[in-house]
Amino acid sequence: MIKLTGLRKQYGETVVLDGIDLTVEKGEIVVIIGPSGTGKSTLLRCVNFLEQPTAGELTVGDLTVDVERASKQDVLQLRRHTAFVFQNYALFANKTALENIAERLIVVDRWPKAKAHARAREILERIGLADKADAYPASLSGGQQQRVGIGRAMATGAEVILFDEPTSSLDPEWVDEVLGLMKQLAAEHQTMILVTHEMAFARDVADRVVFIEGGRIVEQGPPSDIFYHPQDPRTRDFLQKILATHQV
Amino acid sequence: MKTLLATVLVLLSLVSAPLFAEETKLRVGMSGQYFPFTFVEQDTLKGFEVDVMDAIAEEMGREVEYRTAAFSGLFGMLGSGRIDTVANQITITEEREKAYLFSKPYVYDGAQVVTKQGNDTINGVEDLKGKTVAVNLGSNFEALLRELPYADEINIKTYDSNIERDTALGRVDAFVMDRVSASQIIREKPLPLQLAGPTFSSIANAYPFPNTDEGRALRDEVNAALSTLRQNGTLKAISEKWFGTDITAP
Amino acid sequence: MSTLDVDYMLGLVPVLLGYLPLTLQLASIGMLLALILACLFAVVRVLKIPVLNQFTIVFISFFRGTPLLVQLFLFYYGLPQLFSALTVIDGITATIMGLTMHFAAYMAESIRAAIVGVDRSQTEAALSIGMTNGQLMRRIILPQATRVALPTLMNYFIDMIKATSLAFTLGVTELMGATQKEASGSFLYFEAFIVAAVMYWIVVEILSWLQGNLETRLNKAYSR
Repeated sequence: MIKLTGLRKQYGETVVLDGIDLTVEKGEIVVIIGPSGTGKSTLLRCVNFLEQPTAGELTVGDLTVDVERASKQDVLQLRRHTAFVFQNYALFANKTALENIAERLIVVDRWPKAKAHARAREILERIGLADKADAYPASLSGGQQQRVGIGRAMATGAEVILFDEPTSSLDPEWVDEVLGLMKQLAAEHQTMILVTHEMAFARDVADRVVFIEGGRIVEQGPPSDIFYHPQDPRTRDFLQKILATHQV
Repeated sequence: MKTLLATVLVLLSLVSAPLFAEETKLRVGMSGQYFPFTFVEQDTLKGFEVDVMDAIAEEMGREVEYRTAAFSGLFGMLGSGRIDTVANQITITEEREKAYLFSKPYVYDGAQVVTKQGNDTINGVEDLKGKTVAVNLGSNFEALLRELPYADEINIKTYDSNIERDTALGRVDAFVMDRVSASQIIREKPLPLQLAGPTFSSIANAYPFPNTDEGRALRDEVNAALSTLRQNGTLKAISEKWFGTDITAP
Repeated sequence: MSTLDVDYMLGLVPVLLGYLPLTLQLASIGMLLALILACLFAVVRVLKIPVLNQFTIVFISFFRGTPLLVQLFLFYYGLPQLFSALTVIDGITATIMGLTMHFAAYMAESIRAAIVGVDRSQTEAALSIGMTNGQLMRRIILPQATRVALPTLMNYFIDMIKATSLAFTLGVTELMGATQKEASGSFLYFEAFIVAAVMYWIVVEILSWLQGNLETRLNKAYSR
């Protein structure tokens, strides 16, 4: 249902993604791990065309796009079939929590305002922020902002939500409430691709863990295999380093 | 962008269309800032120029429409066909005669140096050496001063308006204006000014017209009207009303 | 000479008030058109739309680089000499054209700076939910940029109100032209210009008050 074939991304001579092949099934939760600067975030951003991939093919649902020949329409369609949760939340600063969630429904899906707001209220209820409907982002805590960010992604009804280090910018006190919401989504079998350093979350929630280094997929499999029986020395090396600093 | 601009232009023109005068009216430009020739009191345009032009228009059997603009804009309006002539004590000069057709003169005058009251150092144009002298922007007095053999030694400042006030305030040593309006200012207005010596260049003022067939025809009509008004004493009467003397004869 | 002629000033108030509407009309139509034009220019510059971008750069350079009075003369006196049909441009139209283009050139740069100043994450978030560039500009970027640009734009508006006094050079008698003419008749310059100055001042004060209210409203979203 999500399929990346030979996805490449180059900045000039620098190769960031060196031919990524990845298939994600409906309802699957895939966590991407790997050292910093190995293109994990770039990979997510390419799926959403926030970065223009250099080569390869992208399939989301019934839409397949050769990235080198992607038209404006293709890009719009791809974006409308995927949703993105940003590390820095990136809520619309001029809109309330409710409006942030309803924005896509009104502008992109052309819902009537009342219907979109009703839907946004349901989502606020689900993310536990019903009382913050009229609050602007500046008056929300980091954890609340990121929950609204996830709510905004939920509202799109996208086939997949892409999480780009959703808890990395948060003060430790807010991390749990955001992870809790992500677990709730996972339990509802929302298709998700995540880049995160929360190894415990990856171990407990992911269906599959993908280890990337140097712009290539080195190893992938169920969390139990990757975390406890890594095959590749690079994976072992990475896990040793990260487990020394992060509790699992 | 071009279409947008064109649309805006058309719209603006439509909005302001009612402001256009009918072409049958005689459109006369003046500054409204040259006492007592053309000035405004309580929103009413008055002065010698208004009275003379009203008489000319009546003689021609045409309605007249006055358009006021800053003096520096009057010749632009004449050149771009927005007015038919200028009634603002326009002095006939060689340069202007190259560009415009002039009617017969209706005012004869001379250039006059004016100083602050009590200034004994300036008693005529020859005393302007080393002094700062104000003239109206676009008037011919600047050219008159520059023709003097010692013009380099005179610091000439051009003003859009209010030269008499700056002289009274002592910001400049003197101003040069036509004798008639200078004496008028001194007699009627509460500014400490005095005439300094005799006039130094005699001038004749007339109406300029564009150098076109229509301009020529209009000029001839105005000349005919002026002759009649001169013969029947109307010009003299208007002059005496404003100046107590006849400035319309040489 | 030493005391103010108060009766004269009071008598002048109703006369000059009659010319205030034209002054305000010139400035508000000019501002409205300048805002529209400036937003278009700014968007063209930010998105670097080919051809239009180059045109805009030259346009802005010219209208920022030359005095407003020169531009007014060009529109009003110069163009009709080249194309006699353009004599239909009357003084009011030429003034509004001049004010619009002159101030649009300045405002375009302020608006562009405000747009560029909006955090990049806002653009990414909008694109990620599938907005088009136009929707992004209209719904996210411009509203946020407005808040930043508002004080500067208001300054330009105030500047424009005062710049309308140049219209008298094109034969449009607005507040300043009327004052000059009245003062020339009475020689009571100080009195006449005080009356005019107070009128300009009151108008600008009212605008500043409106600006304060508007800023409070726009800042509502950004206070904790």
